[in-house]
Amino acid sequence: MNVHVQPRPRSRQMILERVRAATHSVTKGAGELEDAYAALPRGYVRSGGLSGEARIALMIERLREYGAEVIECGPEQVQAAIAAQLASSGKHTFVVPAGLSAAWLTPGFEWKIDRDLIASEIEQAEGVVTAAFCGVADSGTIVLHHSAAEARRVLTLLPDWHLCVLRARQVVETLPEYFARCEQAPGLATYISGPSATADIEMTRIKGVHGPRLLHVVMVRDE
Amino acid sequence: MSHGSYHPILDPTKAPAFPSAVLPVLRNPQLRKNVAHAIDVIQAKRGKLVAEKTDWQELRTAGAAIRAHALENLGFYLEQFEERCTAAGGVVHWAADAAEARQIIVKLLREENASEVIKIKTMTSAEIQLNPFLESAGVRTYETDLAEIILQLGEDEPSHIVVPALHVNRSQVREIFSRTMGLKDLSDDPKELTNAVRTYLRRKFLDIPTAISGANFLVAETGSVVVVESEGNGRMCLTLPRTMITLAGIEKVLPRFQDLEVMLQVLARSATGERMNPYTSVWTGVKPGDGPQKFHVVLLDNGRSSILAKKTERQTLRCIRCAACMNACPVYRQTGGHAYGSVYPGPIGAILTPQLMELHHARSLPYASSLCGACYEVCPVKINIPEVLLELRSRVVNQGRDQAGRLFDPMYLGLRIASLIFSRAWLFHTAQFFGRVGLRFLRRKDGWIHSLPSIGGKWTQTRDLRGLPSQTFHGWWAARKRETK
Repeated sequence: MNVHVQPRPRSRQMILERVRAATHSVTKGAGELEDAYAALPRGYVRSGGLSGEARIALMIERLREYGAEVIECGPEQVQAAIAAQLASSGKHTFVVPAGLSAAWLTPGFEWKIDRDLIASEIEQAEGVVTAAFCGVADSGTIVLHHSAAEARRVLTLLPDWHLCVLRARQVVETLPEYFARCEQAPGLATYISGPSATADIEMTRIKGVHGPRLLHVVMVRDE
Repeated sequence: MSHGSYHPILDPTKAPAFPSAVLPVLRNPQLRKNVAHAIDVIQAKRGKLVAEKTDWQELRTAGAAIRAHALENLGFYLEQFEERCTAAGGVVHWAADAAEARQIIVKLLREENASEVIKIKTMTSAEIQLNPFLESAGVRTYETDLAEIILQLGEDEPSHIVVPALHVNRSQVREIFSRTMGLKDLSDDPKELTNAVRTYLRRKFLDIPTAISGANFLVAETGSVVVVESEGNGRMCLTLPRTMITLAGIEKVLPRFQDLEVMLQVLARSATGERMNPYTSVWTGVKPGDGPQKFHVVLLDNGRSSILAKKTERQTLRCIRCAACMNACPVYRQTGGHAYGSVYPGPIGAILTPQLMELHHARSLPYASSLCGACYEVCPVKINIPEVLLELRSRVVNQGRDQAGRLFDPMYLGLRIASLIFSRAWLFHTAQFFGRVGLRFLRRKDGWIHSLPSIGGKWTQTRDLRGLPSQTFHGWWAARKRETK
């Protein structure tokens, strides 16, 4: 059996021809296109005006509004902060990405390191610990680019409890500042703003539909 | 009235005209109450979060400009998207119309030997009526968005593009879930109802290896697809299965990844009144070891390129499906979504649906508006919906002008006669005279006409008409001149 559907060059060509015919009077040539894009109006706020301290305070406030538990610690106390969160979680089995610092794996708990774990194994874990790429204070968003310490996407999805270690240096104030930090567009990215939620029944906001219901953040004050 | 007592028709080729389609809704107080409540909640949240955004208008301006630029150069950006997505391991398909899109998807599912498929909410799949087609082809579809489950299990249709089941209240949801999931002791607490869905779907997510999604955005620069959601059902569908099929309209392309800094800020605020939706996912083709290892994108035209060709109407395609226009619309608030006879209701539906049908159907929709402009004011990409509505109305009229049957159309004849009369002073004065004499018999003591005979009754059905005064301005002016002489 064929792996792929036979391509249908006719529809492709027809659609592109119709699109080009529809826009021929306004479409730019290759060189002009670049200029036209560069000239698009961008009068919105690109970078925020908060001081470092206020920026972190805003991030923490937003996370707490979402119901996330946030604890702050110095760069030297990350291990201890993680251990405290684990201890108070009442959970025992955790999955972690292979790229996470081994020092963070507090003894006394069961750690499953993700080396091609299958979904059912991940689902049996009670929690997950990861790093992050960035935090956006304005909307309390945690950005994952799914690097080796940020885990594959499925790891932060199936367990019910997510502990994320975020460094103050990683926190920006506005969304455009995050995009400015991406030297290259990520192939995979997940933006998490509070636990999963729905308002589909009478607009009543219910937290925790399918993703992790509990989000914990360790904010490392490394600035 | 019990829920599901009538099944709305959301096929514009079969749906009744708007004025008759609204009648079942206007007679259903429960439905109207559900719609008004939901709209009030979203509007209040949106208003608060838009007000705190000091650069809201600048974001709208940028959003409109980015979308307009993408559409003006759509050929370039579509090809760029195809090239980059293919390079990343995706397979891009092109579907000229709904039938071709359905066939491509069914063929892909056959290759996977898929008898079941999990779905992320996608209005585009509803547009091409994918679910009934898949069922008839022997593929069972499982909707995974909470609202879509309510509708699928309740055999109902979406009435809103962001919260599709906003016309259903909690006790109706309880009834549907307890009947279809066999949960006798279920209460109508939204938390308990949501938990029932979490349990119901968890196994499906883990077991069904094929998923279908829509796309909020396609990024030309990177070949990435972006899905914006709240519940996490989207992340489940686009992470766990083996094979992922994304169906997207050709207009969904953004030039660059960075453009999301504008679109994501305006979308969540406009759609659900949040600073940011809980989950946004970006993926690019196939990533070994993470997520589906086979990925297909079906790019759907289905009338979009013909909208693109029209200067005024082109802006319709800027739409990012936030639904702010329907939440702000005084007509939608009264009628809900089903009356629009399309998966795209409200003001955007009133301009999009007739155009997707190339004005062969849904011709009553451009009139389903008071032209108050609230939709334009809230639109995050500045689609001037009233302008497009007027353009479409004129095209509907022009279409009628070419038909042979127009000579039997009282509206057409009436306006032709009126134009004749207004263009000749003596005819106008004569008509005024006869009008004064004729209408005098209908005028009541209070000076108002409460009911007109025959076709004029349509006017007085919902309003009174002031009786003509005994003297016209012309007559008064002439008499005054005579007196002063």
